[in-house]
Amino acid sequence: MCTGRVDPAIIAKAFKKGLDGLIIVGCFIGECHYVSGNIQAKAKIDMTRRLLKHIGLNENRLSFQHCSSGEATRFVEIVNEFDKTIHELGPIGGESDRVKGPELFRKLEAAEAVLAGEKMRWVIGKKTEFLEKGNFYGEVFTEHEFNRAIDMIIVEETEVQEILGKLKEGVQSVKALAGSLAIPSERVFRYINALKRKEMVQLETVSGRSPLYKVIPQGV
Amino acid sequence: MKDKKMLIVGGGLEGVGAALENADKGADVTIIEKFADLGAERIPRDRLIKPGEGFVKPDLEKLRNQSNVKVLPYSDIKKISRDNDKIQTRIVKHSLLVDNSKSSEATKVGIKVCPVNMYDDFDEGLSFRTAFDYYNSETGNYNIYKEDMPACQRGCPINLDIRLYAGLIADGRYAESLAKIREKLPIPGSIGRICPHPCETACNRQYLDEPISICFLKRFVADVEINEGIEPDYETPEQKYSEKIAIIGAGPSGLSCAHDLARMGYENIKIFEALPVPGGFLQVGIPEYRLPKKLLGREVALIEKMGVEIQYNTRIGKDIAFEDLKKEYDAVFIAAGCHKGLKLRCPGEDDFEGIIDCVTFLRDQALGNIKDVKGKLIVIGGGNAAIDSARVGWRMGYDEVYILYRRTKKEMPANPWEVDAAEHEGVKFQFLAAPVEILGENGKVTGIKCVKMELGEPDASGRRRPVPVEGSEYVIDAETIVGALSQGTDLSFLPADHEFKLTRRDTFEVDEETGATNLPGVFAGGDVATGPDIAIRAVAGGKLGALGIHKYLRSK
Amino acid sequence: MIYEKEKRYIIPFTDVPSSRAEMPEISVDERRGNFTEVETGFPEAVAVQEAKRCLSCRRCLGCGLCLAEDNEDSIDFNIPGEELNLEFDEVIITKGQDNAFHPIKPELGFDVYADVITDLQFERMLSPNGPTGGLVVSPLNGEIPGRIAIVQGSSNEEDEKHLFSSLVLGVNESILALDKTQDLEVALISPVCQSFKEKFSSDAEQISSLGIIEGIPESVERKGEEGPLSLTYSTGGQNKTEDFDLLVVLTKEKISPEIMELSRKLDQEIQ
Ligand SMILES: Cc1cc2nc3c(=O)[nH]c(=O)nc-3n(C[C@H](O)[C@H](O)[C@H](O)COP(=O)(O)OP(=O)(O)OC[C@H]3O[C@@H](n4cnc5c(N)ncnc54)[C@H](O)[C@@H]3O)c2cc1C
Ligand code: SF4
Repeated sequence: MCTGRVDPAIIAKAFKKGLDGLIIVGCFIGECHYVSGNIQAKAKIDMTRRLLKHIGLNENRLSFQHCSSGEATRFVEIVNEFDKTIHELGPIGGESDRVKGPELFRKLEAAEAVLAGEKMRWVIGKKTEFLEKGNFYGEVFTEHEFNRAIDMIIVEETEVQEILGKLKEGVQSVKALAGSLAIPSERVFRYINALKRKEMVQLETVSGRSPLYKVIPQGV
Repeated sequence: MKDKKMLIVGGGLEGVGAALENADKGADVTIIEKFADLGAERIPRDRLIKPGEGFVKPDLEKLRNQSNVKVLPYSDIKKISRDNDKIQTRIVKHSLLVDNSKSSEATKVGIKVCPVNMYDDFDEGLSFRTAFDYYNSETGNYNIYKEDMPACQRGCPINLDIRLYAGLIADGRYAESLAKIREKLPIPGSIGRICPHPCETACNRQYLDEPISICFLKRFVADVEINEGIEPDYETPEQKYSEKIAIIGAGPSGLSCAHDLARMGYENIKIFEALPVPGGFLQVGIPEYRLPKKLLGREVALIEKMGVEIQYNTRIGKDIAFEDLKKEYDAVFIAAGCHKGLKLRCPGEDDFEGIIDCVTFLRDQALGNIKDVKGKLIVIGGGNAAIDSARVGWRMGYDEVYILYRRTKKEMPANPWEVDAAEHEGVKFQFLAAPVEILGENGKVTGIKCVKMELGEPDASGRRRPVPVEGSEYVIDAETIVGALSQGTDLSFLPADHEFKLTRRDTFEVDEETGATNLPGVFAGGDVATGPDIAIRAVAGGKLGALGIHKYLRSK
Repeated sequence: MIYEKEKRYIIPFTDVPSSRAEMPEISVDERRGNFTEVETGFPEAVAVQEAKRCLSCRRCLGCGLCLAEDNEDSIDFNIPGEELNLEFDEVIITKGQDNAFHPIKPELGFDVYADVITDLQFERMLSPNGPTGGLVVSPLNGEIPGRIAIVQGSSNEEDEKHLFSSLVLGVNESILALDKTQDLEVALISPVCQSFKEKFSSDAEQISSLGIIEGIPESVERKGEEGPLSLTYSTGGQNKTEDFDLLVVLTKEKISPEIMELSRKLDQEIQ
């Protein structure tokens, strides 16, 4: 399979299932059968590494290497090297990851939603175009500018997906959400307002002094 | 009243109210609003309300149905003037990028998918909106929030694309970064050293930690080119123009004007410079230790390489009459700067040798004309020129260097980092002191009589006005006194009966969009039009003049 | 043109905070008696690091996702802007909808505590079309407050007219808040409360149910990590401290520089 076809959401899913490391080995840049498959793959995996790092997973658990089909020894070397790295990192959610245990898995759930979401897929798919031809306004991006845009989406989408994930468990107040998610409560407050605006969340009821919110299921 | 054309500036509650009122009377009304849509309902501030009727709503429904009201959202007034009872405007209306007549409930999907979150201005930041969203929930008119430039670029007088050139540096693409800067700024190495960087003042990162060091990044890429010995290529377009253009003064303003005209294809550009060296105050004002002259010389040489001729040691008004220049050339750009040091206006000032204004002092030093360095130097003033004079004096070897300033350190108009550097080097400050009289003997300065000041009420500029403390006069001995109050234009090069429109400060009155003076074919920019300012704004003036000249010559 | 209130570019990027690069310099001893350049320039690594601090501020990315999703064809990146040269007989200048305000006394903790908000924010919150649909909640935690204080934003205010109109706004806002919220107490603290009561004596009944206190707010502190705001104010020559769940600061309007400039240029008052 072409590395360009690797779906980042599956990567997050795999880690969520308790995988300690994942290596993707593909053709060298410039040798792609589908011309730009591995360039796409690189963009996606770079972004996924940034996202994993953001949620607190050691990003070295995900690796992208190149090797052509004739280079068996190189392949073995790459895999051994990676195996060593993962051994050093230890099991997922342990010492080498910034965020531990159950919280990490909840964050991976949000990460999966971000990676499966349309926004991230779309924008990452635009990378080559943005860097070479420019966006809809003809602004050509530098790598740095593109990474900033991706970082912005990573930060905000993860927070939104965490909130939506929690709300799927049942109605919640802003205060309770902030308490369990480690997102500053004034941001949660604004996200909830914005989600109401998008008709993705609504006020269900007020209990005591706490307004409680619920998700509106989205049709496909 | 009928058919009267009215402009209402501002689409808030008041603006909409005024529009309806006048439309009812039959006037033809246009509302201009800089935000994407009209304003929100408000709670009255002049009377008490009942709970049920808390908000006063702008009657947008009625406004929509009023055929004689036109609304221009997302618009700016670029130019406005009152001429013979009429108001002339130039308005730029930015595109909403959405045709709201076609949008429907389904358009809302855009809000859900747009990946860009931003604080919502309409709701005073209590919520987020996306880049594609409505502004006013009441009308539900969508717009795409596309800024025309980021804050730093807007802060820059020549609107350098900072986001792009910083991004290129981050990616390690230094040469491209420099090329990008050079498209707009011919002297990046010089400006990258001495600019007080209004862009950094605007930088959004200051709200998170500290602004980006934008100015020095420019210097960095300029230095890389020199260190690697790269000779840049300047391209001029195929299309050439043969009109003759004269520029008075080879300061940043004149040089930038010449550079831009050369880039447009003008082949006959000649700069007349009174001094034997180029750069204006970059050469003879800003000292060598802040801006090495070799570097400045290289940047000027690159401009000359594009076909710009500089004729040195030629003072217009003395070596060539201004009127002759005007006759001989198709367009003239005046960029003569502000080279007259203002007087201290205290007794004794004109009686002794050893008192000198900072413009002359720094110029003479830069040109190597000061030989006699001894004793104590006192600099009077609190601006950048005062600090430069003091730091120069300290380097020249005066025994002691003092700065005398009427207010306190906090009020000094000089850049704080310059003040700190001077202090660091050992320049001594006497705050809250003003000169009363220059003292001298045998025709030479021997000292200065000062009076202590205290700060009183704030003046028009918001700074507290210094007032003398009675009976607090004292004397400081000094061999040299440099007055660094401010500079003014020296327009003695113009014939006595010239017909230029000048401002109260004796600067040229120029058109905001073309730099044109009131005399056809004559343009002006830089300090000579703005009064003493900063180099990058002089560059902006030069660029504006180049555009104006181009427009003028092409429509002749 | 396209305007955005300052301090609003607040994405918690992970590289924040990181400090600005410092320019290396030659020592003071090396400077006396010569004109050697003082600042020596950024080394490459420092320059790249500094350039990477750039946030690449950008709103619409121009990604076209909304366009791809829009089945109405209402989004169109090709709709051009326009430049219009128009002539008018008359102009009316209004203050517009910037809603900018003069600085708020720093001791009041606006910009520090999320539950200290401006009267303008409160106005939006009270609006049925506003971000909370008219629900009075604390932006700190989304909870409905039990006690709100409404105070003047700057203490040594001499502008009587402003003090009056902002107190009227404060009173109106509390009338609305009390109407919408159960078990709510509102304290209005203003230096002109006596004269205000006299002036609005005809509405005495309405006002009497409100807790208006003659006084000046001094400072605000958070009690513990998640506790209420503790407001200290001076009244009748004494300092008093009370706890509140939400603090609303009455602001003094600042007309935008463009409008001021326009008014000056056309020599015409702002309506
Ligand atoms: C001491 C000092 C320090 C400064 N420091 C800074 C700083 O750190 N950063 C900053 O941004 N700005 C600084 N400035 C301001 C900046 O240098 C000026 O704003 C800028 O140089 C103005 O550019 P200009 O082209 O309009 O005029 P100038 O640079 O003044 O150039 C005008 C030129 O015209 C020539 N000229 C004048 N009359 C005639 C004539 N009749 N015929 C022929 N030629 C003529 C002059 O010789 C001169 O070369 C400083 C200014 C001074 C005085
Ligand atoms: S508004 Fe801009 S950023 Fe948002 S989806 Fe449309 S094109 Fe992309």
